[in-house]
Amino acid sequence: MSKVISLQEAAQLIHDGDILGLGGNVLHRAPMALVRELVRQNKKDLKLVKTAGAMDVDMLCFGGCVSSVDAGFISYESEFSLAVHYRKAVESGEIMGNEHACYTVISALRAASYGVGFMPVKGLVVSDLIGVNDYFLRIQNPFTNEMVTVVKAICPDVAVIHVQEADEEGNARITGPLFEDVLFSRAARKVILTAEKIVPGSLFSSGMKKADIPNFLVEAVVRAPRGAAPCSCFGCYDIDRKGIIGFKALKDREALGGHLLSLEYGDHKGYGGSL
Amino acid sequence: MMESKNRVCDTMVCAMARMIRDGDNVFHGVSSHMPMVAVLLAKAMHAPKAVHLNIPGGVDPVLRKLQKYTSAGPELLEGSKSYFPLMEVFDLSMRGGLDVAFLSGVQFDVWGNVNASVIGDYKKPKVRLPGGAGSAVLIPTAKRAIIWRTKHDQRTFVNQVDFITTRGNVDKIVTPLCIFKMENGEMVLDTIHETSSLEEVRENTGFPIKYSRIAYTPLPTKEELSALGRIDPGNYRNIEF
Repeated sequence: MSKVISLQEAAQLIHDGDILGLGGNVLHRAPMALVRELVRQNKKDLKLVKTAGAMDVDMLCFGGCVSSVDAGFISYESEFSLAVHYRKAVESGEIMGNEHACYTVISALRAASYGVGFMPVKGLVVSDLIGVNDYFLRIQNPFTNEMVTVVKAICPDVAVIHVQEADEEGNARITGPLFEDVLFSRAARKVILTAEKIVPGSLFSSGMKKADIPNFLVEAVVRAPRGAAPCSCFGCYDIDRKGIIGFKALKDREALGGHLLSLEYGDHKGYGGSL
Repeated sequence: MMESKNRVCDTMVCAMARMIRDGDNVFHGVSSHMPMVAVLLAKAMHAPKAVHLNIPGGVDPVLRKLQKYTSAGPELLEGSKSYFPLMEVFDLSMRGGLDVAFLSGVQFDVWGNVNASVIGDYKKPKVRLPGGAGSAVLIPTAKRAIIWRTKHDQRTFVNQVDFITTRGNVDKIVTPLCIFKMENGEMVLDTIHETSSLEEVRENTGFPIKYSRIAYTPLPTKEELSALGRIDPGNYRNIEF
């Protein structure tokens, strides 16, 4: 059965207050088309989860859609510098910046994927992060009596992952770095895929290069060519510098609204906003 | 700073490269052009058997082209023979198998505490920094954590950090003025770059400078500079300046 739906319908599957896992890493394969649609639909109180986020997190913060961000690192890299909207929103107290080490996000997602409530993390020993965050605790290893830090499981209500290829049933193949996306697909309650291409399922069954994410874990598939733009999508396109700089130059929410309106037709047609 | 024909970014990158030993497993993360170039330089010079690990997961990538905007892009996987992504690099470090991790931060104190998190109150900070990324688990578990920071002033090298993101196995700290080393739990001066001076390091450091001898950071050699030209023709090692 086909799980292909429109971008607007996919965004409607994400509810105010949801814990939302975002696929990709910094400016690579971020699910930007769906992120833009979430802002257009004026979502509120989203709790974002990512190891290292950039424009996706920054845009959702700018749009007023976010109440907390659990991440190890939120910034564009060297060339495009800081995630200003995330930063301002945390500094004003509008958003809670829950700092992790990238590894504690991974450990928290592993806990969810293993079906346990927490995960020991070896490296986190001397850190003020342990005391100020209620998702870290120091406990005794019951076998050796040594102290160990544990991180609370993070089970995203929804993970949104942009992939190069998916079939109508939701089998998806990622080309290039997987980042934490396969783990996200196992840890989340619901997985929504946006895909550069909808491919026939026979592509996976006829060869031995199988899908990384199996259809039974997937709720919905959206055809979204250039769905990661202006971020990069390996094998399809590199970053669109103009798109990133244009977004970073937007002054206020009104300007953001105009920007998103100008990309709406392309996003909804499945052209990711660059046509 | 004094005039010199040597650029500080080259002095720093060459110093970082020389800290890598042949056979070391070495990791760098996001926003890390200088360490990325340093690893490639070390492998081209004295440490061909060093193992280059990174976020996209390419082991020892042969890079066709570096990217200006990222040190975590797919090009780091494309030219490699095997896949060993970030989560496995972390696992490797936890079980004691990571020799060198290159990390940064915003504030450092004499006790080797690193702050990459916040200035002010954590819940409503005066400045929300990007975050320590892997630092909080890698600095305590990698055998040697090497810090680089392209700012050296009294707001960066402070008496006491505002917030301890982590503390652990910091070995060296490379700045535009000098190299510090950790010795008996204290940050002490290791070498001064020829473009700087003891006075300049003192004036720009928020804690008293301790040293056992005055030594200067070795200059980049002709061979290193020519290798740098090949590895990083776009000069991205200078992007943070």
